[in-house]
Amino acid sequence: MSGNSPPRVPSSGRGISKFLAPYVFLTPALVLFAAFLAIPVLYALYLSVHGLRIVDEGVFGLRKEVFVGFANYADLLADGSFWAGFGRMALYGLLAVPLTLGLALLFALLLDHGGSRARRFSRAALFIPYAVPGVIASLLWGFMYLPSTSPFSYLTDKMGLGTIPFLDGNGIYPSLANIAIWGGTGFNMIIIYTSLRGIPPELYDAARIDGCSEWRLAWRIKVPLVAPALVLTGLFSLIGTLQVYGEPKMLSPMTIEISQTWVPVMHIYRDGFVRDDLPMAAAGSVIIAVGTLLLSVGLLRVTQRRTFGGFQ
Amino acid sequence: MASVTALLSSCGAITGGDDDVVTLDFWCWGDVQTARVDAFNASHPDIQVRRTDAGGGNDTATKLLTASRAGNAPDVACIEYQTVPAMVVSDVLADIADKTGPLTDTFTEETWQLTDFEGHVYGVPDDIGPMVLLYNKARFDELGLRVPETWEEFAEVAAEARAADPDTYMATFSPTEFGNFAGLAQQAGATWWQVEDRNWTVGFDDESSLRVAQYWQDLIDQDLVTAEPLLTPEWNNRVNRGEILTWPAGLWSPSVIYSIAEGQAGDWAIAPLPHWEGDSNAVALQGGSALCVTSNSDQVDAAVEFLTWMATAQESTDAQIAGGQYPASLNGQAATAESPPPALTGSQEDYWEVATEAAASTVPHIQWGPNVTTANDAFADAFSAAVRDHTPLTDALRNTQEEVVEEMERVGFHVTG
Repeated sequence: MSGNSPPRVPSSGRGISKFLAPYVFLTPALVLFAAFLAIPVLYALYLSVHGLRIVDEGVFGLRKEVFVGFANYADLLADGSFWAGFGRMALYGLLAVPLTLGLALLFALLLDHGGSRARRFSRAALFIPYAVPGVIASLLWGFMYLPSTSPFSYLTDKMGLGTIPFLDGNGIYPSLANIAIWGGTGFNMIIIYTSLRGIPPELYDAARIDGCSEWRLAWRIKVPLVAPALVLTGLFSLIGTLQVYGEPKMLSPMTIEISQTWVPVMHIYRDGFVRDDLPMAAAGSVIIAVGTLLLSVGLLRVTQRRTFGGFQ
Repeated sequence: MASVTALLSSCGAITGGDDDVVTLDFWCWGDVQTARVDAFNASHPDIQVRRTDAGGGNDTATKLLTASRAGNAPDVACIEYQTVPAMVVSDVLADIADKTGPLTDTFTEETWQLTDFEGHVYGVPDDIGPMVLLYNKARFDELGLRVPETWEEFAEVAAEARAADPDTYMATFSPTEFGNFAGLAQQAGATWWQVEDRNWTVGFDDESSLRVAQYWQDLIDQDLVTAEPLLTPEWNNRVNRGEILTWPAGLWSPSVIYSIAEGQAGDWAIAPLPHWEGDSNAVALQGGSALCVTSNSDQVDAAVEFLTWMATAQESTDAQIAGGQYPASLNGQAATAESPPPALTGSQEDYWEVATEAAASTVPHIQWGPNVTTANDAFADAFSAAVRDHTPLTDALRNTQEEVVEEMERVGFHVTG
C-alpha cells in the first residue's frame, strides 16, 4: 500500500492516517454487519451441523451437544411434513401474491387516474390495514371467521344458507390469503402509486394527442413503465410468502386444519422452541434462506432484462 | 410434621449465622404464587424470593432449557410433572434427594413418585390435578339427566342429552388435549412410557389406549360429542349457551370454566370421573406442577427451605386453595375441608369431599417420557388430522407411537419395543 502513496507526502503519520481513513469510515458498517448478520449466520451454520444426542448418564440418559455432520439436513429433507409445508405455502402464495399485486396495481391506477375523487382519503383508507400489526389483524379476522362470532356467517345463517366454512377444509387457504391481501395491498399500492407519479406527464400528453384512450394509456404506458415497481413488490411478496408464520400461527388455536408444521417457518419454530431442537431449527432456517435467495435471484434474472433493461 | 420442623431449623442454622440475605430467583406462572411468595418473604428475612412469571407450563419449560444452557437459570422453577423427565435429560434440574428425606411423609406415595425417579428426587410436588367430571348441574337438572358413574353410562346419558336438546352435546373431544387423553388412557391402564436402566418402552398403541380412542371415536361417529379444540371463542360461546354439559378434566377445571363463563357461577358441580365397568374408580392426574431446584443454582439449601415451606406452611396451602389449585401435600389437602368451594361450583356442598376422594385414589406409577413435547404435538397433529379427515383415532394413536419412537431413536435413546 505504502508504495502507492504519492512521494510528496512528507510525514509517515499522514500516510498511516490516509491508509486508515477508509477503514475508520467502514468500521461502523462492518461492526454492525458482523454483529447482526455475519456472526448470527455463521452461528446458525455451526448449529445446523450439531445435534443434541443422548449419552449414557443419569437416570434417563443425558442430552449433550455433538457434531452430527449433515444429519439434520438429511432428516429434514426426508421429512414429509416439512415438504408438505412448502406445498401449503405455495398454494397460499398462489392466492395471496397475484391478488395482492393485482389489487395494488388496480388501486394505484385508479388513484392516478385524473378523474378520481377523494384521493387523499382513499389512499389513507387503503393504507391503514398495513399499519395494523399482523397478529392483531389475524385475531380480528379469526373472530370474523369463527361460525359463532362471524358477522358473515350470521347473515348467511339468517338467510337459511348455514354458516360459511372459513376455517374448514380448503376454506382455510382463501381465509388466510385474505388476511395477507387485506394487510399488504395498501403498502404495495403506495409503492406502485409513487412510481406512477414519477412518470413524466409529457408521455401522457403525447399519447393523448395520438388519440390514446385512458384504458389504453393505463395498459400500454403506465403498466410497462411501473414494471420495476411491480417486480420489487413481487419480490417482497414472494419473500413474505416464504416467511409466512404469523397468520397461520394465530389462527391455529381456532381450527384443527392448521397443524404445528403447517408452513415451513412453523416447522422451524416447533423444532426450535417446542421440541428444544435448535440445531434442527437452524438447519431448517438455512434451507429456507437458501431457497429464498435462489428464488429471488431467479425472479430478478427472469424479469430484469425485460423491465430494467428496456428503457435504461 | 416434627421431622419437617427439624429440617426447617437445621436449614435456619446454616443460613442464620450469615448476615447476607440470600436471594432466590423463582420462575412460576399463576396469580396464586404472588400471595405465597409475599408470605414467604415476610416470614423469612434472610431469604428473599424474587418471582418471575415466565409464561405458562410450556413457555416456562422452553425458556428454562435455554437459560439453563446459558448458565443463568433461576434457582427454583415450577415444572409440570409431564415435563420433569425431559428437564432431567437436559440436565436442568438438581437431584435434591439427600435434603428432602423428611418431606416424603407430607405426600402420598403416588404423588411423591411424580418427582422421585429411582431414588433421585428432582423436585417437590406443588399442586395436582386428579381427574373429575365437571358438569353443568343446572342443565343436567333441566334436561332430566343423571350423572354417569361409568363410561358406558356416560355414552347413554350423552344420547339422552342429544334427544332432549338437539343443540346440546354431552362433552367435547379435543384432538389437541394430549394431557387429557393421556389421563383417560392411564385410567384405563395405559403405560405410555416405561424405563429401566435407561432402556425405554413406549406404548401409545397399547390395548387400553386403543380402547379409549375407540370409545371416543364411537361417540364422535354417533354425533354424541363434538370434536373440536377447547377454549376457542367458538367453544366458549357454546359453554355459555349451556350446550356443553360436561368436561372430564383435572381439578383445576372449575377455575378455567369460571374464567370464560362467569355467569354460570354456582351452576356447575363435580362428580367422580366415570370409570370403566368392572374397573376400580382410580383416576389419573391431569396437569399440576412441581417446584424444582435447578442445577445452575448455588443456593440449594435455601431453595430447599423455600420448597419445604411452600409444601408445608399453612399460609402457602391456604393461598393455593383460595386460588383454585388443589395442593399436592397431605396437610394442604386436609385444609381444603374448611374451605369454600370454587366460585363455579359454589353451590356444591360436598365439593371438597369429591375432590379429596379423587385425590386419594389415583393411578400409581405414572412414568412420563423424555420427549413429552414431541409426543404432545405429534398427538395433536395426528388426532386433528383424524378428526378432520374422518379417519380412525386408533390410527392416529399408532402414528403418534411411530413418531415418538422414531424421534427417541434418532436422538440416541435405547428403545425396546
